[in-house]
Amino acid sequence: MARAAVLERLRPRGPLVWRTATIAAVKEETPRARTLSLTVPGWPGHRAGQHVDLRLTAEDGYQAQRSYSISSAPEAGSVDVTVELVDDGEVSPYLVEEAHPGDELEVRGPIGGHFSWSVDDGGPVLLVAGGSGLAPLMSMLRHRAARASRTDARLLVSTRSPGDALYRSELEELGPRPGLLVAWTFTREPPPGWLGFAGRVDAEMLAAVGPGPEAAPRCFVCGPTPFVEHVANLLVDAGHDPHLIHAERFGPTGG
Amino acid sequence: MTDVHTDGNGVAGLLAEVLATEPTVLRRTCQSCGDVQPLGAHRAYHGAGVVLRCPSCGDVAVRIGVHAHRLTVEWRGTLLLEVERAEDATGA
Amino acid sequence: MTPISRGFRGRRADVDPGRLPPGQYLTPDFPVLSAGPTPRTDPATWTLTIDGAVDEPRRWSWEEFLALPSETFTVDIHCVTKWSKLDTTWTGVSLDTLLEGVETEADYVVAWCDGDYTTNLPLEDITGGRAWVAHTYDGEPLEAEHGGPARLLVPHLYFWKSAKWVRRLTLTPDDEPGFWESVGYHNYGDPWREQRYWSD
Repeated sequence: MARAAVLERLRPRGPLVWRTATIAAVKEETPRARTLSLTVPGWPGHRAGQHVDLRLTAEDGYQAQRSYSISSAPEAGSVDVTVELVDDGEVSPYLVEEAHPGDELEVRGPIGGHFSWSVDDGGPVLLVAGGSGLAPLMSMLRHRAARASRTDARLLVSTRSPGDALYRSELEELGPRPGLLVAWTFTREPPPGWLGFAGRVDAEMLAAVGPGPEAAPRCFVCGPTPFVEHVANLLVDAGHDPHLIHAERFGPTGG
Repeated sequence: MTDVHTDGNGVAGLLAEVLATEPTVLRRTCQSCGDVQPLGAHRAYHGAGVVLRCPSCGDVAVRIGVHAHRLTVEWRGTLLLEVERAEDATGA
Repeated sequence: MTPISRGFRGRRADVDPGRLPPGQYLTPDFPVLSAGPTPRTDPATWTLTIDGAVDEPRRWSWEEFLALPSETFTVDIHCVTKWSKLDTTWTGVSLDTLLEGVETEADYVVAWCDGDYTTNLPLEDITGGRAWVAHTYDGEPLEAEHGGPARLLVPHLYFWKSAKWVRRLTLTPDDEPGFWESVGYHNYGDPWREQRYWSD
């Protein structure tokens, strides 16, 4: 079973070529983030957690390329990417503020095997997200829901304020289902009357969300590099096996 | 202040241009510290090209020259490459 | 046929095209590029050495280096990854000052840096007022992520030659490809002839 899981991660899903994608729909997630649903002819399918390289070409031939995690489940049938606005960014202002349905761009993917999960890989899983790092973990939870799985899954999301919280209503709906625990920590401004976690992720929060190292959960940590390094260190210090910690670093600011 | 680095997951698209397989799960034995880690866990630094470094000891693992029409890749340590074969491949 | 993304421009600033080498774009930022983690070198232990094919090696401590005559100058810089930054102001010690009185038959130099980065240059390209070891950027002490305490500055070549965290300049009889040069980057690196890749 483990061998099959490794082979599944190894297989490139079709040749890794640039494909023209069309924006089919856009959804405003927060004032600063938007999900683009892409139609990609010939899309070979993906595993939850994988990403695409996305490329934009200007009229004079100038190109810019960024990687974005696929936030939709493999079962969904569309390739969704959630883009958060980076101040003075090169690509995100275009994708969040300008692009609209019908616009074309290029994608290459799906990419990634190390940072991917399927219900068939088993659990428990511990997912820790910093800001827009929630996108690939959301793909994992949407996949888990699509497969009606009861695999023990815990999600801890660190975000600045309710206004920055991605997918909050969907997670509130998914949260009470069997085997899933969703926790938030707000680092700048919690919601009014909030009784949950606040501030930077720390050892107590991780211990409270669990599961502990004795359950040998596969841990997926995603977000800006400083966040990922901080959380990965906390997990190792808490006794989690480093080989079970999968990290995906978005860079200094996250996107 | 944290260094400006990402990880092997972010350069997987680039490495997939070179290898006929998904690169992030490939396990590399470091030439310096002997630790075994998947490429997806290696630290990626972006200079003129890309440098992947061992997550355990920080030594250089892979250097990638990124040029307009060519990639130049230097591999250090020992990489166990595993590639899935086509359906009609000849058996051993 | 590469599809055009309607309305996409990127963050390019407008500029007189004559100021930019071929294939370059003007950036409003100062991107931080690196081959590895930022070294944190304590000035108390920092030294700069000139050695190799010289009559006598030279070495300066941080205090001695700062006591040398410095110049403040404004130059354009061009990165092989296509961004250029115009009118950047630096303060540093000219290589002519550092090499004063050094006797050598060597034609080349290798720059060695904290973090194990290296780059190679012809000796004549770091003399004649074309290169400095810079310690100040835009009036402030050079930040570690941009090469502080001191970096090599050779603005007439692609910026990977302006080695951050420089500690030693070794004069050599032969050209010895450095870190990026040995994975396909051009040995000389003239942005005006677009010498990015070794066969350019």
